[in-house]
Amino acid sequence: MEGREHLMYTASPGAPLLSLPVDAAAAATRAGAFDVVVIGAGHAGCEAAHAAARLGLSTALLTVKVDDTAKMSCNPAIGGIAKGQMVRELDALGGLMGRITDRAGIQFKMLNRGRGPAVWSPRAQCDKAAYSAAMLHALALVPGLHFVSGVAQRVRMQHGRAAGVELSDGRLLEAGAVVITPGTFLNGLIHIGERRLEGGRIGEHAARALSDCLAELGLERGRLKTGTPPRLLQRSIDWDAVTPAPGDRVPQPFSHWTERLELEQVLCWATRTNERTHEVIRTHLHRSPLYSGQIQGAGPRYCPSLEDKVVKFPERTAHHIFLEPEGRVSPEIYVNGVSTSMPEEVQLEFLRTIVGLEQCEMLRPGYAVEYDFVLPHQLDATLQVRAVPGLFLAGQICGTSGYEEAAAQGFVAGVNAAHGVLGRAPFVLRRDQAYMGVLVDDLVTREHREPYRMFTSAAEHRLLLRADNADERLAETGHELGLLSREQVEQVRGKVAAMAAEEKRLARVRVSLARLEWAPACAPGSDGVPEQAAPLADRPRESRTVCALDWLSRPEGAYARLVDAGVEPGLSTAWGDSLEVRVKYRGYIERQQKTAAAARSLEVVALPVALWDATLNGLSAEALEKLRRWRPATAAQAARIAGISPSDVAILLVHARRCGRGR
Amino acid sequence: MSAVPVPFDDTIVAIATASGEAGLAVLRVSGPQALLVSQACFKGRSRLAEATSHTLHHGWAVWPEAATAAAAARLDEVVAAVFRAPRSYTREDVVEFSCHGGSVPARRVLAALLAAGARLARPGEFTLRAFLAGRIDLSQAEAVADLIHAETDAAGDLALAQLAGSLSVRIAALEEHLTECVAEVEARVDFAEDVGGVEVPPHVVAAIEAVRADLAGLLEGSEYARALREGVRVTLAGRPNAGKSSLFNALLGELRAIVTEVPGTTRDRVSERLELDGVRVQLSDTAGMRETNDRVERIGVQRAQAAMDEAGLVLWVVDGSTPLAREDHEFHQSHAGRRALWVLNKRDLGSIALRELQEWSPPPPWVEVSAQTGAGIERLRHAVIEQLGGVAHGQRGQVSNPRHAEALGRAGRLLSQASVAATSNAPGEIVALELREALAALGEVTGTHVGEELLDRIFSRFCIGK
Repeated sequence: MEGREHLMYTASPGAPLLSLPVDAAAAATRAGAFDVVVIGAGHAGCEAAHAAARLGLSTALLTVKVDDTAKMSCNPAIGGIAKGQMVRELDALGGLMGRITDRAGIQFKMLNRGRGPAVWSPRAQCDKAAYSAAMLHALALVPGLHFVSGVAQRVRMQHGRAAGVELSDGRLLEAGAVVITPGTFLNGLIHIGERRLEGGRIGEHAARALSDCLAELGLERGRLKTGTPPRLLQRSIDWDAVTPAPGDRVPQPFSHWTERLELEQVLCWATRTNERTHEVIRTHLHRSPLYSGQIQGAGPRYCPSLEDKVVKFPERTAHHIFLEPEGRVSPEIYVNGVSTSMPEEVQLEFLRTIVGLEQCEMLRPGYAVEYDFVLPHQLDATLQVRAVPGLFLAGQICGTSGYEEAAAQGFVAGVNAAHGVLGRAPFVLRRDQAYMGVLVDDLVTREHREPYRMFTSAAEHRLLLRADNADERLAETGHELGLLSREQVEQVRGKVAAMAAEEKRLARVRVSLARLEWAPACAPGSDGVPEQAAPLADRPRESRTVCALDWLSRPEGAYARLVDAGVEPGLSTAWGDSLEVRVKYRGYIERQQKTAAAARSLEVVALPVALWDATLNGLSAEALEKLRRWRPATAAQAARIAGISPSDVAILLVHARRCGRGR
Repeated sequence: MSAVPVPFDDTIVAIATASGEAGLAVLRVSGPQALLVSQACFKGRSRLAEATSHTLHHGWAVWPEAATAAAAARLDEVVAAVFRAPRSYTREDVVEFSCHGGSVPARRVLAALLAAGARLARPGEFTLRAFLAGRIDLSQAEAVADLIHAETDAAGDLALAQLAGSLSVRIAALEEHLTECVAEVEARVDFAEDVGGVEVPPHVVAAIEAVRADLAGLLEGSEYARALREGVRVTLAGRPNAGKSSLFNALLGELRAIVTEVPGTTRDRVSERLELDGVRVQLSDTAGMRETNDRVERIGVQRAQAAMDEAGLVLWVVDGSTPLAREDHEFHQSHAGRRALWVLNKRDLGSIALRELQEWSPPPPWVEVSAQTGAGIERLRHAVIEQLGGVAHGQRGQVSNPRHAEALGRAGRLLSQASVAATSNAPGEIVALELREALAALGEVTGTHVGEELLDRIFSRFCIGK
């Protein structure tokens, strides 16, 4: 480790960012030596660099333009279904995304509030500029974290390990470990109608050399596609013609450590496409690179272009559109729902058929971008390239999409890069522990045909992986890693104790059903109408009071309404809701806990690497081929590979034991 | 959805000996509940639950609920060997039942142990447990791998054989419907903003109910499976001199090697047990049916009538070389709606009866045989099996494999829970939990796993991405 002075950056969000001192030290060949070098300062890169530096390692964050740090290249929102849970997890482990979102959030909304508790998902619209500034600010405060401005050219190899990064200007950053997070820049190619431009974002460069370098390292690459909608000029929209879409009345912060939200809350707006819009699309379909054969990469089906929606669902006469401000003072409006790669003039033509957008002016056209990724079966569960020790990948390069997925991987890669340098044990989250665990495991054990996005249905234990218990699941881990302070983990322990105490108390308290039934039935946040209760006279006398905890477990039971029966709440609203969920779904939660415990018995059985070069009799040729391709690290991972049967796993265990003892 | 890894907190059971004819069949029960489960199905002088390790106990295997009853139906005479943890093959509590050879006794005892709460072991699972417990010597590792492989192959062949024909088609159809249901529910959970509406729409609840009802029908309609478990009475009846007794002997003679003689027959009603394609059959020969003034013969005729009433299947025997008689017509009328197979004997002498029979509309199921020459006896066997619910030898359309029956039964229960949850407005992910477990249970029968295709269905059905 080389002692370096820390960059001090004290500007507050909103201050000019270009004054930031950048480590452009000298154009000498050897420009610096770090423990960890992170290529790319997007959502993955920021978490990776932050985690590594916080673990005490000197870390370089290499990016082309420092003020593009943590740029929200597409939609101006963080979170959403399953993604929001992941941000909460990242926050509970000591990651940044949740805290930064709270500082830049301008509309908070708990999605799925009317639905089951496992899928309540926080989401926040953000001020994009404030988000970048807040992230930059947070990173600049971390000792040992250095910004380097430049373009990565290739990974420097030494003794079969990644040993540094060579920049396009000839500089060399030496490193103990390298994390690559290039996003769509890896050999990026932008399509707008028939026009094609090299670049990861419009007007920016494409990292071609880096992709070639990965190929030279023997990595199998693929090509994916994503898209972004046009941005409109704020004042060109007829705001009276569109419908307001407000956020939650009482916005809940993302982060467990945020005490209050600072920024004023804004409205989003809704409108919809119509048959005329679809007609324009159909007329010009041959000019869409998606349909002309110009685009080779596989795009995400969950985030289709408007062209796709019109073609695949011809019976739909309208599609929802949300108009989302890119910031409090930004003139740009993000048109959510019309991702497109049509030529600019066609985009304008169809936009102007939409109610409220008849006079709209486009600031930037929508476009599709194709980029390279590395087939993730070549990674292990720490996101390290199996064939190149010391080289870690995170984000879109692993075949995912989404800021949250990127950040989660960045954190995992950053911690593991640091652990590699420090000689510590790998950091791997289990599937029953976190969506982050599901994410990484799915990446390294499954075949993927489109950019991977997290869904709650991907988690077989999703009742356990809720937004309300992310801290309980992961804070101890964050503390053990060294990324969460004692105070923070004590706060979580306090919550656990308070909830247990409240549950005990409610088990002893009896409540009057009469008072609950006569009480007004509009608990905050609930939008269901309670069922008509039978007249009191029809009920046996003893059923008129009931144990508070039992009442809570009923469908109509609500923590917020206990006060109507004279029971003062012992918990905050959020913790009370959380307790209610546990009481109400206890049976199901326990069922999943049981399944999870059973699954863990195989999760702890490690499969030695040497296994894959050994003769493995008893396995079918097909099973063998799959196992050698994915090289599962544990018996449980092996079991999850499609086509691997329980008996294949049994056979594998036998060989693993023999192999382990033999060495 | 990922494959369910092997859990270790439950108690598993399987037939440990190879299938086929052998002197003995051994069932092995292993797991924390092994002693209790075994005790529930065991009636003997000692109580297995309190037995010390490495002891043998003689007794009878019985249905779990019958173990405490005085007159429990005995499934088989068994010797139970008790091995307490950790001094056992798997280092868990283990009980091994030795029962009589042949697949039927072992399958019946297996069914009882499953009913008592054990789960059917997956191929290689005992070996896996033994191995993980460190029980298996490393020098045996290669042999163990081969052993698991062999067990899997055998199980695979068995499953394929069981699934041949209509059953696999029906279950695959149910699987398909259920996958659609899961996609509908999951779409509303993961894409609430795009799909919207109620958590589980009525048409999905109806679809779940339909699948559940189909499953129940599959299991309940499985007469063959019930026959397999409980055995079935088959009665030979007909006019005197039609050749019933010769047929009785011919059927037994053909199968004499695996017949168990049951004493206690009366002069006029002779019963013997035999095994017909794995089904235990009690075959009765009865007195000839005719009007008579002879008091003793009249009692004989009454008993024959009783034997026909009790029978799961009546083989109505006719002398095929003569025209049908009044008794034959009476039987046809009185026995309408019940299961009967007409056996036209003495075909070597002529087919006069058959020509009459074929004019009926519809003609009853019939078989031409000659007890004298043995011609057609094999066809008769097949026809009996067919009448018992199986389609034909080797192509049973119904659930007779206990592994399948258990998995389908479990799927049915999960679907009931799913539809209760859906109709009581439980959140989508709760309904999905039940549905996906049910789907996994069906997958245990068909060997398919639902994963990627779930998303395919969601994306093809719903316009996702606002």
